[in-house]
This record gives sequence, C-alpha cells and structure tokens, in this order.
Amino acid sequence: MLTLYGAGIGKGIAIGRAFVMQRSAIEIPQYSIQASEIGSEVDRFRKAIEDTRIQLREIESQIPADAPPESKSFIEVYLLMLKDPLIEQQPAETIREELCNAEWALRKHSKALVDTFDRMQDPYLREKKNDVRQITSRIQDNLLHIPKQSIAAHPGQLEGRVVISHDLSPADTVQFKNQKIMGFVTDLGGPTSHTAILARSLKIPAVVGLHRATRYIRHDEVVIVDGKRGAIVMGADEGVLDRYRDRQAYVIRRKRELDELRDAEPVTRDGQTVKLLANVELPDDVRAAHRSRAQGVGLFRTEYLFMNRTEPPSEQEQFSAYSQVVRRMKSSVTIRTLDLGADKQVDGGRSEDPTNPALGLRAVRLCLHEPGLFKPQLRAVLRASALGPVQVVVPMLSSLNELDQVFDMIAETKEELRQRGEDFDEEIPIGGMVEVPAAAVSADLFARRLDFLSIGTNDLIQYTLAIDRVDDTVNYLYDPLHPSVLRLIKLTIDAGENAGIPVTMCGEMAGDARYTKLLLGMGLKIFSMDPTSIPEVKRKVLEADMQRLPDEAEKIMACGDSNAIRDMVVAMEKL
Amino acid sequence: MIKQHIEVINKLGLHARAAARLVKEASSFDSEIMLCREGQEVNAKSIMGIMMLAASQGTRLQLKVNGVDEKTAVDSIVRLFLSRFGEDE
Repeated sequence: MLTLYGAGIGKGIAIGRAFVMQRSAIEIPQYSIQASEIGSEVDRFRKAIEDTRIQLREIESQIPADAPPESKSFIEVYLLMLKDPLIEQQPAETIREELCNAEWALRKHSKALVDTFDRMQDPYLREKKNDVRQITSRIQDNLLHIPKQSIAAHPGQLEGRVVISHDLSPADTVQFKNQKIMGFVTDLGGPTSHTAILARSLKIPAVVGLHRATRYIRHDEVVIVDGKRGAIVMGADEGVLDRYRDRQAYVIRRKRELDELRDAEPVTRDGQTVKLLANVELPDDVRAAHRSRAQGVGLFRTEYLFMNRTEPPSEQEQFSAYSQVVRRMKSSVTIRTLDLGADKQVDGGRSEDPTNPALGLRAVRLCLHEPGLFKPQLRAVLRASALGPVQVVVPMLSSLNELDQVFDMIAETKEELRQRGEDFDEEIPIGGMVEVPAAAVSADLFARRLDFLSIGTNDLIQYTLAIDRVDDTVNYLYDPLHPSVLRLIKLTIDAGENAGIPVTMCGEMAGDARYTKLLLGMGLKIFSMDPTSIPEVKRKVLEADMQRLPDEAEKIMACGDSNAIRDMVVAMEKL
Repeated sequence: MIKQHIEVINKLGLHARAAARLVKEASSFDSEIMLCREGQEVNAKSIMGIMMLAASQGTRLQLKVNGVDEKTAVDSIVRLFLSRFGEDE
C-alpha cells in the first residue's frame, strides 16, 4: 500500500478506478516566415483565438444549471483573457516585427506573463499564472491542431472514475458533474486555484499539487482519494478499503442529515413556527450564521471590540464593525450594549480589584457610570440601524430606574445624531436582558416598557443560585434545571406573552438540544445560539408536539426534586 | 484627456471578478483608458494588466482617459469603484 500527500479539497472520500489522462509535453516549433506571409500567419493566429473562444462558449453552454455560480465566472474570465490585448494583439505584433511563426510569438508572450505573475508577492495573484498557462495552451493546441485531451473528449468513460491528470482547467472541472466523476488528483495546482475552488463548490473530493501523481498511479488501479487528509491511497487491501467505505458512508449520511435539516423550516410537528437565531461575536461569524440558515442574529456581543486594548474603540470603528454585520446578515440583528466588567475587563481594569466582580460595576451599570464609554456605542448602533433591521438589548438590568436612565441616554444620542444629520431608525426596538433575578421577578414591569425581553441563562443561573461558575469548588451546583431557575424563566416568558412582546433566550441553555422540548413546552418561541448548535436544536423542534409538551412542562414545573426533574426532562426528549 | 485619482475601497481589491467587471465596463467605451500605480501603467481593457497591478483595498490609482467619450467613461468607472464592484463590502 502506498500513500501520497498533497493539498486536500473537500471533506469527502472517493473510491474508484483511476483514469489517467496523459498529456505529453508538446514541443513548440520555431521558424521564420517571409514578409509576404505575415498576413496569413496573423490570420492563423486570429483563427486559433476564435476557435478557442468557440470551444469555451460550448463548455459554458454545457455547464449544468445547478452548478455553482463560480463556474460561469471562471469561463467569463477566460473569455476576457482571450480578448486581452496582451494575448490577442501583442503576439500578432511580434509576428510582424520578428517575422516568426504564431506558436513561437504566443509562447514568447505567455512565458513573459507567467513569469510576471510568478514574481507576485500575493499568493492568490501568483496562481493566476496557471490561468495564463491554461488559456495559452488551449490556443497552442488549436494552432497545432492537437485534439484536446479534455474531460469532454471521453464521453461516458469517466463515470465512477477517479481522474488523474497533470493539470485540470476550471473548464474541465465544470463538466465533472455531467460526467459523474468521483474525484480527481492533479500534479499541479494549489488549494486556492480556480480548479480547487470549483471542486470544493461542486463537492467533489480531490487532492491537488501531488507532483508525481500521473507517474505513480496506474490506469485502472483502484485508488482512494481522502479530501480531508489530502491523501491518496494506492494498493489498499480489502480491510483498508472497508474502513474507508465505512467512513465514506458515514460522511455521506451525516451530510445528508444535516443538509436536510439545514433547509427545513423550524416548525413543530403541529405547525407552530419557532425562530432559531445565531449568537455572533465577530463580523466574520456572520458566515457561520448564514451557513446554518439562522433567521437573524439574536445576540451580537460587542465586547471583543473593547478587549485587549487601553482605549475604547471610536464611534467610527464600532460603526464599521456593526454595519458589516448588519449589511452581511440582511435579516434582523440584535446588538447587545457593552457587557464588560466582572470577568471581562478592558485592559488596564477600570475597577480596582473588586471583591465580588460579578456583583460590581459592570454592564449597564458601568455604561451609565461612564457616558463617555456608552454614548459612542449607542451612536454607532443607531447609525447602523439605518442600514438594516437592528435592535438594541441592554444587559444586566436590575431596576426600572436604570431603564429610565438608559432611555434618557438613547434620546440624547438620537438628538445628537439628528443635529449631525445622520440617518437612523427612529423606532429602533429596545429590549432588556433578563439575567438578574430581580428583573425576572419583575419581568411584567419591564415588559410594559420594553419592546422585547431576552433571557441570558448563564448569568441568571449564577445569580439565582448564588454560585460563581469559575469557582470549581461550587460549580457542581450550577443547574439549569433547578426549580427556581425554571420558575424565573417561566415568569419571564409569561410576562412577555401578556404584554404582547417577543421573548428570546440567548444563553447556553437555548443551544442545548436536551432542553429544547422543555423550553418549547414552557412557551419559548425564539432561541438564539451558537450557529453550530442550530441543526441539533432544529431536529428537536421538528419532532416537537405542542399538544403534549405544555402539560409535561407543567408537571416538571410543579416538581421540586432536581433529580426527578432531570429524569422527566430526559423522558420528555423522546416525546 | 481627463486624469482622476480613485481608491480601491472594496475589501477584496481588484481580484479576478472585480477586474472582469472593470474590463467589461472599460471596453464599452471608445476612449483609451489607462490605470496607473506608482509608475506602473496598464490598459484598463486588459484583464491581466489589471490583475498585475495587484491593487488591494486602500490602493490609490490614477485614472487617465483619452477619447471622444472620455467624460462618460470617467463617470461610470468612478461609479463602479464606489459601488465596490457590486460586492457586499
């Protein structure tokens, strides 16, 4: 058994017989022409370009309708390259000036272009040399009337095979789907080449940049392509093949399950719709949110902007971060104002070593204490609300007095922006985090004044049970199913329901699929969590039967014994 | 001839797709359209020329347009840069 390593593409595994495409290096002829032959030589060159254009258009027309949009744009770039003066005109001038044949004139310019790109610092641009090589070799083949050794030249012979080639152009790769190719291996190419990007979006396992693949792999032998490890295995015995087949089946099964879930609407068995939102921390997390089909951002934590620095970020810096998330997300984004203090301090530490940081000057308390910190953030959030649906949520509220102060400050900020002539959403919804037991107990009072409530279970549990989560001598007492915690959650959900405002849960409990049915039974309809948890929670939502869950939840709420509750929650999961 | 400074503001810079849009736009005019960066001058109708500029986000370029439709050409190319080539950011 022999294993070779290159750059792997995709997570899948392909097992199949190798189809080795030979492409012997062609000698480019060089000869002089007479001045009287210039016209016909230039015409010959033009015709080769035109033939290449026709071939590319034909490939374009064969791209399957369900191929990723990248496929078409690659061909488009190739077609533009054909029209590029550096390829279309300069070789013709060389033919005229140097009285040489078209092949040699083209070779001269393509070599210069390849060298220029090869010297580029940027690895992405350096790879462009492959595009130059591929397009000019297509023109050369047409000049020399060499039938193209392309995927299209083997109709029907490639089904179920692993294609082994010195190099593949994106134009070849786009036809893989039609030809039902299992996987491919190339000598050349890097993980960011067009061919690699295309293979990834077509979900075909591949290994590229294997250098001597075409030499080591024999035509027709069975090979394993392991895209995840970037490995290709030859001469595997039955045992190894079986192991790979198992893994292949597992990867396919798992992907299918999650794919099915991903595009399913989160609706319970009896038709009640539930909202599954994403918690994000960095603007780049939006990608993961989209991938998991989150219906919005339920919690955008802003602390990362403030951490590991001595000065807080400017309004402009914050605006640029918030607007990135708002613009990229396209659905509603809930931005939480600064939740620093306690465990997460701005570098340098504002409070002098408080004995009880969790009970000290933090979150909204810190913000109200330091308007110079709070107001730039409010201005940035408000300005971002001009670009898409934005909500603000204020952490750690414990009294209505604080809420009054927050409203005053928002009103002042809005006035400042009006004077500056900045756009913002005048009706921006303002919500409060329910994470201090005081807020949960008085949730009805808060609900009357706010546009929505958001339950932060991590802090709510810690404050309710009076345990420090980071203290490992007491953290065994941390229990999301503690009857007191469940009652506070229920109070909050009911308060929202009575006031006619939405209630979201955004703590870890919301993303823990073990609790999904219990929370549904308690009346929760909006869950916000780490995007990776969405498929598992969605699976539970799809199974849920709202005719039965509320009764079960009520039984659990009435029970005082934590162990019994745990058993009942496990039983409920199977409902 | 019109000369104007422009800045690359889209995040990915003049990579393949943005370069393709620029070339298409430039090719729709009769004027000669050149882009210069620190002494390097390329034809805006040449996709490879533009890629060779290696202009990333924040790069300042000079646009030089010469021809019958130079006014509209400058306007529409500046607009294309400002629209971030239709990309998100």
